[in-house]
Amino acid sequence: MGLKKFIKSVKSTLGLKDFNQEGKKKSLKELLKKLNKRKKSITASLKATEDKKEKKELTEELDIVTLQIKKGKKILYKLYAKK
Amino acid sequence: MLRKIFLPTILAILAYGFWISPDFKEISAGVAIFLFGMISLEEGFKAFSGGTLEKILQKSTDKLYKSIGFGIITTTIMQSSSLVSVLTISFLGAGLIGLAQGIGIVFGANIGTTTGAWLVAGFGLKVKISAYAMPMLVFGVILIFQKAKSLKGIGYILAGLGFLFLGIHYMKDGFEAFKSTIDLASFGGTGIKYLFIFTGIGVFATVVMQSSHATLVLIITALAVGQISYENALALAIGANVGTTITAILGAMSSNIDGKRLAGAHLIFNVVTALIAIIFMQQIMHMVDFTSHAVGIADDDYTLKLAVFHTIFNVIGVAVMIPFIDKLVTFLDSILKDSDVKTDKNYDSAKYLNDSVLELPATAMAAITRETRHLYDNAFEIIAHGLNLKRSNIVSSKDLDEVVSEPYSQSAIDIDDFYNRKIKGIYGEIIDFSTKAQSQMPPEYIEVLYNLKLANRDIVEAVKDTKHLQKNLVKYSTSSNEYIREQYNSIRRDLAELLRNIDIIGTTDEEDVVMLLLSKAKLHTEKYDIIASGTLDNLIRNNLITNEMATSLMNDSNYAHEISKNLIAMAEIIFTDRSSDAESLSEEMAITDEEIDTILEKEDK
Repeated sequence: MGLKKFIKSVKSTLGLKDFNQEGKKKSLKELLKKLNKRKKSITASLKATEDKKEKKELTEELDIVTLQIKKGKKILYKLYAKK
Repeated sequence: MLRKIFLPTILAILAYGFWISPDFKEISAGVAIFLFGMISLEEGFKAFSGGTLEKILQKSTDKLYKSIGFGIITTTIMQSSSLVSVLTISFLGAGLIGLAQGIGIVFGANIGTTTGAWLVAGFGLKVKISAYAMPMLVFGVILIFQKAKSLKGIGYILAGLGFLFLGIHYMKDGFEAFKSTIDLASFGGTGIKYLFIFTGIGVFATVVMQSSHATLVLIITALAVGQISYENALALAIGANVGTTITAILGAMSSNIDGKRLAGAHLIFNVVTALIAIIFMQQIMHMVDFTSHAVGIADDDYTLKLAVFHTIFNVIGVAVMIPFIDKLVTFLDSILKDSDVKTDKNYDSAKYLNDSVLELPATAMAAITRETRHLYDNAFEIIAHGLNLKRSNIVSSKDLDEVVSEPYSQSAIDIDDFYNRKIKGIYGEIIDFSTKAQSQMPPEYIEVLYNLKLANRDIVEAVKDTKHLQKNLVKYSTSSNEYIREQYNSIRRDLAELLRNIDIIGTTDEEDVVMLLLSKAKLHTEKYDIIASGTLDNLIRNNLITNEMATSLMNDSNYAHEISKNLIAMAEIIFTDRSSDAESLSEEMAITDEEIDTILEKEDK
């Protein structure tokens, strides 16, 4: 057995094959969880406020967070697709 | 002068010794091979102390018991308290740990180093150690020639261990042969006089060899063949403990003041421990006998009893010193003052850049990052004052309109003077240090270093643009023309908002907050661009401002835009966690220019 083949089989036996990707997936999931939580709190604040200026600011934040969640999900799908 | 005489004298003594005694030559060769093994071992462990080091260090040294544990474990694994001390000084120099944490690690290292005596006495002398050395050397050297960094590292560790074992073998053989010609034990004796003499010899031998481990192995091998008495061996071990602080002191010479304080703590600890051991020698010897008996060590197994002694007296030292760590820190702070502080207190200089952090690429990188943050802190002050805003108001939770209404000064501040005193010197030092660090860094660090240099340039550019912006800002922000006044105050408010957000980014651990604020900052930079939004056109068309005002506003709006862009780019580099997946994620998830346009279009509707 060649050295490369040996390392490959050891990695797959120990489940280290996608070690980097697994770490990234975990971080991304955590981040998405936080972003979703933030989206919920912004939505709640948006409903509660009457102030126009604050409303505008919260809408802007909501747009950004929604966009980031969308992007994050896209990256996560790609990571799963690679597997 | 002393150094000039020292080296030739040592070489002459050695040469004479080799000439009159081949056995002495064998022992010395053993020591030399052993020391070479230590160098190789240190080189090997350095290959593994990469980016994760910072994380491990921060998690494992936040409490005193953890720092001590970290010192014990790392020294046990690396078998070199000197390496651990030098690395700790490097961490300290880079600001990765505090002095109290550093002292904890050094205390732990003193206990960790006692495992060396156990290994040599319990294993090294009981088996034919050279049989292990040869295969280790062969495998080690083959691996050293490999390209992969980790294989190279393993190669150095294996070769290092091989040389250590070979060195011990030569020392053992040398002493056995030496015994038939000269009995060194006849020069020894008992009593307080010999206790001090042999402690002194232990100090001297360790200073010469730069390794207490080597001295201890020499003592154990000599003790094993009866060339020195048990009592004298104990005194030599005490001396070796004091002598080892010299390595830390030499390592601290190129470090910042905290590194020097740590070396001071190491010296105080080892001297106090040595004094305790000397004063309570009889009591400690009784403790050694008791412990040895309890763990089943034979009464005449003096080498293992020496290992027990070494452990007991270091543990006692740590136990005695632990309650005084805070006092020790205060004492060292008061006696070792920073001599780098310039006579003119108004001139600021680099805090974290010193040669000791060059020991590891990770510490060098951490030091440059921290220094860049230091530079940004100064730039923050200049930009805030340049905008005629109070720094404390910006970082507060006050409403930004209120912040803008409270001026810092009635007249323009001298930004050039601020720049010369608080930016120029540090920036120059960072660039100079980065160039020096770059030559010793592996390729994977070069890109990060390049980005850090860019962040520094962004900071300097932002300060320079503030200087240009300030000229009209003071004039028009209090103008009688309400339209121009409103526009300039709007520039001040927008930049204050950006500075406040960067301050939050720099202090929060929540990556979602960092991502949101960075995206928001990018969005606002475009949103508040009065040229793109048509605000300027509107003001000119309706004759609300003069031509001169329009030209100034156009230029200054451009400066404000550039300041924002530079500060955001800088924040993305220095305030995102570069050692985690979060960094690559925040890069991938950052909003693009097209997305900014989409959000702005939506807002306009």
